[in-house]
Amino acid sequence: MISTGAKKQIDAWIAKYPKDRQSSAVMQALKIVQAENGNRLNADTIQAVADYLNMPGIAAQEVATFYENYNHKKVGKYVIRFCHNISCMLNGADDLIAHLENKLGVKTDEVTSDGLISVKKVECLGACVGAPMFQINDDYFENLTIDKIDKIVDNLK
Amino acid sequence: MNEVCFKNLTKDQCYSLKTYEASGGYSVWRKILKGQLTPEHIIDELKVSGLRGRGGAGFPTGLKWSFMPRHSDGQKYVVCNSDEGEPGTCKDRDILRFNPHAVIEGMAIGGFVMNASVGYNYIRGEFMAPFYRFEDALKEAYEAGLLGQNINNSSVNFDLYTHLGAGAYICGEETALLESIEGKKGQPRFKPPFPANVGLFGKSTTINNTESFASVPEIINRGGQWFADVGVENSGGCKLFSVSGHVKNPANFEVPMGTPFKDLLKMAGGMRDGAQLKAVIPGGSSTPVLTAEVAMSMTMDYDGIEKAGSMLGAGSVIIMDESTCMVAVLTRLAHFYYDESCGQCTPCREGTGWLYRVLKRIIDGNGKQGDIDLLLGVQDKIMGNTICALGDAAAMPVESFLRNFRKEFEYYIKHGKSMVKG
Amino acid sequence: MADIEMEIDGKVVSAKVGEMLIKVTDREGVSVPRFCYHKKLSVAASCRMCLVDVEGAPKPQPACSTPVAQGMKVHTQNDKAKASQKAVMEFLLINHPLDCPICDQGGECELQDVAVEYGSDVSHFSEGKRIVSDSDIGALIQTDMTRCIHCTRCVRFGLEIAGMMEMGGTGRGEHLKIEPFLREGIQSELSGNMIDVCPVGALTSKPFRYELRSWQMNSIPSIARHDLVGSNLFVQTYKGKVKRIASADNDWINETWISDRDRFSYEGLTHKNRLLKPQIKVQGQWKQVSWKVALDYAVKGLNSHVLKHKKANQLGGLVSSTATMEELYLLKKILTEVGCDNIDHRLNIKNLDNIITLDSNIKLDALEKIDYALIVGANIRLEQPMINHRLRKATKKGADIDVLNVMEFDFNYPLNAENITAPNKIASTLAGVLKSIMTNNVQELPNYLATIEVDEVANNIAVKLLNSSSSVIILGEHIINNEDASAIANLATIIAQSTNSKTLNLSITANTIAANLVGFVPQNSGMDVNTMLASEMRGFILLDIYPQHDFHHLETVVKAFTPDDTFVISLNSFKDDIITGYSDVILPIASVYETSGTQFNVNNDMQSYTAAVKAPDEVKPAWKILKVMADLLELPGFHYADSTQVLAEISHQPHTKHTHDGHINFTNKHNGIGVIWQNSPYSIDAVLRHSSTLQKTKIGQMNSACMNQASAEILGLSNNDKYLGVPVVITDTVADDCVFINTNHAINIQEQA
Repeated sequence: MISTGAKKQIDAWIAKYPKDRQSSAVMQALKIVQAENGNRLNADTIQAVADYLNMPGIAAQEVATFYENYNHKKVGKYVIRFCHNISCMLNGADDLIAHLENKLGVKTDEVTSDGLISVKKVECLGACVGAPMFQINDDYFENLTIDKIDKIVDNLK
Repeated sequence: MNEVCFKNLTKDQCYSLKTYEASGGYSVWRKILKGQLTPEHIIDELKVSGLRGRGGAGFPTGLKWSFMPRHSDGQKYVVCNSDEGEPGTCKDRDILRFNPHAVIEGMAIGGFVMNASVGYNYIRGEFMAPFYRFEDALKEAYEAGLLGQNINNSSVNFDLYTHLGAGAYICGEETALLESIEGKKGQPRFKPPFPANVGLFGKSTTINNTESFASVPEIINRGGQWFADVGVENSGGCKLFSVSGHVKNPANFEVPMGTPFKDLLKMAGGMRDGAQLKAVIPGGSSTPVLTAEVAMSMTMDYDGIEKAGSMLGAGSVIIMDESTCMVAVLTRLAHFYYDESCGQCTPCREGTGWLYRVLKRIIDGNGKQGDIDLLLGVQDKIMGNTICALGDAAAMPVESFLRNFRKEFEYYIKHGKSMVKG
Repeated sequence: MADIEMEIDGKVVSAKVGEMLIKVTDREGVSVPRFCYHKKLSVAASCRMCLVDVEGAPKPQPACSTPVAQGMKVHTQNDKAKASQKAVMEFLLINHPLDCPICDQGGECELQDVAVEYGSDVSHFSEGKRIVSDSDIGALIQTDMTRCIHCTRCVRFGLEIAGMMEMGGTGRGEHLKIEPFLREGIQSELSGNMIDVCPVGALTSKPFRYELRSWQMNSIPSIARHDLVGSNLFVQTYKGKVKRIASADNDWINETWISDRDRFSYEGLTHKNRLLKPQIKVQGQWKQVSWKVALDYAVKGLNSHVLKHKKANQLGGLVSSTATMEELYLLKKILTEVGCDNIDHRLNIKNLDNIITLDSNIKLDALEKIDYALIVGANIRLEQPMINHRLRKATKKGADIDVLNVMEFDFNYPLNAENITAPNKIASTLAGVLKSIMTNNVQELPNYLATIEVDEVANNIAVKLLNSSSSVIILGEHIINNEDASAIANLATIIAQSTNSKTLNLSITANTIAANLVGFVPQNSGMDVNTMLASEMRGFILLDIYPQHDFHHLETVVKAFTPDDTFVISLNSFKDDIITGYSDVILPIASVYETSGTQFNVNNDMQSYTAAVKAPDEVKPAWKILKVMADLLELPGFHYADSTQVLAEISHQPHTKHTHDGHINFTNKHNGIGVIWQNSPYSIDAVLRHSSTLQKTKIGQMNSACMNQASAEILGLSNNDKYLGVPVVITDTVADDCVFINTNHAINIQEQA
């Protein structure tokens, strides 16, 4: 359920916290395990993380459902997280999201039929002076235009 | 402009240890390691400087540091709040990316002053590039022998770690942030007890914003008085303002406190496409919106903005031109608070959803007579009744949008469409 | 803490510095509404219902989390306080279904009560209400989470009291949902308390669902009778039937909690197997008859088989530990009057020369203040849930707990050391502890310690006991049939004396202490139970006995009761084929909550209770039946109008008290595999065995003979086999040379043979 490599990564996080406070690493552990299990979590992986960190399953489930970065439904290899908060909205994010949905043939929270891309509307990502912007996996893309979006998306493989 | 946190912004590899040290970086820390500075001195300088918490609450940093029971037994912690997420705010991201060592040095100084040998920098989960940049800087600092145990035989200990968030605006609230570091849901704690007494892992803890920490080395280096003189009375120093929205050149600007708003607007290139300014949110989405007229005569400092009827907050200036539908903007903000409420306490959990639903109904053309009074009533019932400030943050925009732009809301309710967009 | 003076609603009151305002208002009788606050749980301050106005504070303050200070002025009723309270009430109601008439909590709902006082007549909310899906969380608790107001009392109960976080709050904001993880369901042995702490109809009793409204029921205070605690509770009844059990407060006994066992056992009372009418066996045929006929038959049978022949010494009286003190006393008195000394209540002890005599000299509430406990031979969490709860509280305050068990069990607190050892090594380990202590104290060693080796386990325990200022040694049920039972108890006593420790004897159960107090053990030269079973007896009076559960060796028992010329009078509450097989008269007796009586708990707290309901059909309380039998036998001194007169008579009798004799004798040479045989926690008495819902839980389903691989090989068993009729589970959590059986099934004669 949790690979040796993932355990090593989790252990590195555990080392940052005081002894017996390994549950502090749960947020990263869930991310790490999510990444190696098709970019989503389920009951088994959450329980495995809880067991590894010696915490109750429900406590890990609380964390996994409280924070926005965890996926509980199927997502694409690339998750485009489009900010639609105020600064992006003022700069036309809604139209750009509509364009992106059209281009990909999916609505937000859906996955393209090849499983490559899914789109999520998210709250402020803290890059307001670069609005409109989105995030693809770990990377930010700012000052988006229709042309720019087309280029970025066309390069996703 | 750009004298403190953005001091090295234009230099090559501004984020590197080399660049930082070349411009006087770590000189305060090295003096501490040599025993040349006392905690009392640093606190005094901070008090003189007039530095106030840059995360939004504006509490005097020197005073806050003096509250820590530095002589008590037991582990103590300093925590940096880099969980930037207030709509309109994106300054800490740039500090982490372009001047990470100032944050490290500021935290180390804080650790020394408050006798805390461990620090955590809580970086929001989406800031992966800033996270890697900060981790690289940490590595540099450790390799240069600036952090760790018994640093340079000084008997000073300071270990610094990053904690990554996972997507929750509420973790910017300092006690929610502590819960989050403890591996729990980010639900704010009730106070008292305050973190200075019962903080991270139950130990005494001080939490400051990224910009606050990053400002400390330069303040101690150049003296509290110098910093105070840069700003105006009651608002020492300079501050980063994130100017976004309908301006030509949106960007972060580090300018002296007290700078007139109209000058800041000019720095950002003025209004885009020659449009007319309609409204300004001066301190991030939670702070009351101002009309153009009021904004244009305001100065960018704590008192100046308060006089104008709003708050400096995190210095996140959102500019809206005449084409902006205020009903749509408020609905957008209401959705944000509805989405980000932690759900723990009743008025916020239930009230933010109520506000959003009424606004959504209006936007969908199903507004009813009495909706404006209803919205005002609901925000009033949230205000002041919640555990943390998110309740107030959700309530304040509603009140100010309705007060300043009531006609637009009345029009929308009556006609089922926007007065501005038609 | 220093005393201070402060003002509440203009009235000057005194308080302790730093205590929470709500404690002060509660003490002063000032009503402050609340939902998340619960006096036995940590403060959450999240419902915001208890907001009050504190002078000088810009915002209203929650009474539950505001420490009081000298000179503080509080207004609980002024406009500011009222406005906040009304605001919170309105928010709580916007998403709460207003269908109180069909809600199981209706009439006992804290939300409903507070809404009447603080709510508004008109709701301003016209958007759609939230609907929350429900999942099955187990047999005991019904959920209706749309009604949940997110007070998190159930979550905190799990974390803080049950010691296992089962409920949690998932999601955030308006989507915050209180639920357990996945579909695992709730497992705690204390889970039913969540029903009591839930202020609304989100968590209610599943067996009670849709039965009645709370105001239709009478609520009668009573005592739980399944263990040594005697938890206080309310029996809620309707038209003569027990409908529900709720906990009652008693800080010295059960605080405000009760175990699931005590809460849900009442269901057994209405089981279809209840005996409802007296019956007699005439020429091998059972006949239902009137009480008069049955009692005449019983008395005639006793006379013709026993008394007429002056053979009272061949009559035996046996009782189960579930009997009331009055019943025990009356049966003993009858038998004594007819000249019979053969009485016993110690049904499951194989060797009555080797018994545990150990005082319990620590109060239940003192248990949470100890700094060290040594538990010997107990699965304490399931066997004694409320006592375990006290120990758990002690560990939270820093106490260390060591166990000396034959198998690893689930504990809901961290142990200092979990020592797993074979049954035949327990005595020598304790002897090692004693030797280590005496050596440390520079005392002369008695002979029996001469050859004892002090191993690391013994030494560590000794050090702990020597260094603790308040410690306790707890002896559990698993020692009862240990070959060294008596030695173990005596060693525990001496160790406790040498280290100033307390002792707690949990090897006994239910009302055993009352049985000992009235002296329901062989009198003069009377026979004990095992001797009776091995002798040719002419008659027995058996009170509430089910041999296939109460004895170890069923075959012997049945053989002793069955002969034609042995006249057996059985007083029972439930039908049972084994009983009908050997009895001549079966008299249906009242079960728990159906009779008045008296119970002694482990602290020797005497607790009397009245009948909460009348027994069904023709069933009578056993004390009345015994009284009438005595009258029919024309015995003197049975003129009781009610059971309190019996109790009054008992309290004038000298009590028998057992103390340890100081004699320690163990050989440390037992070989072979030790078997510990135990009814599983929800099968320890007849009512529990008939409580259908409890039987559906994971604890109710416990039925296994656990052993390690080595023992399994010696016994020639593997995982799918049965041992004494119980499924074999091979696990390395069991010590060598040991089989640990926990069963919810009866012993079967054929399997024994």
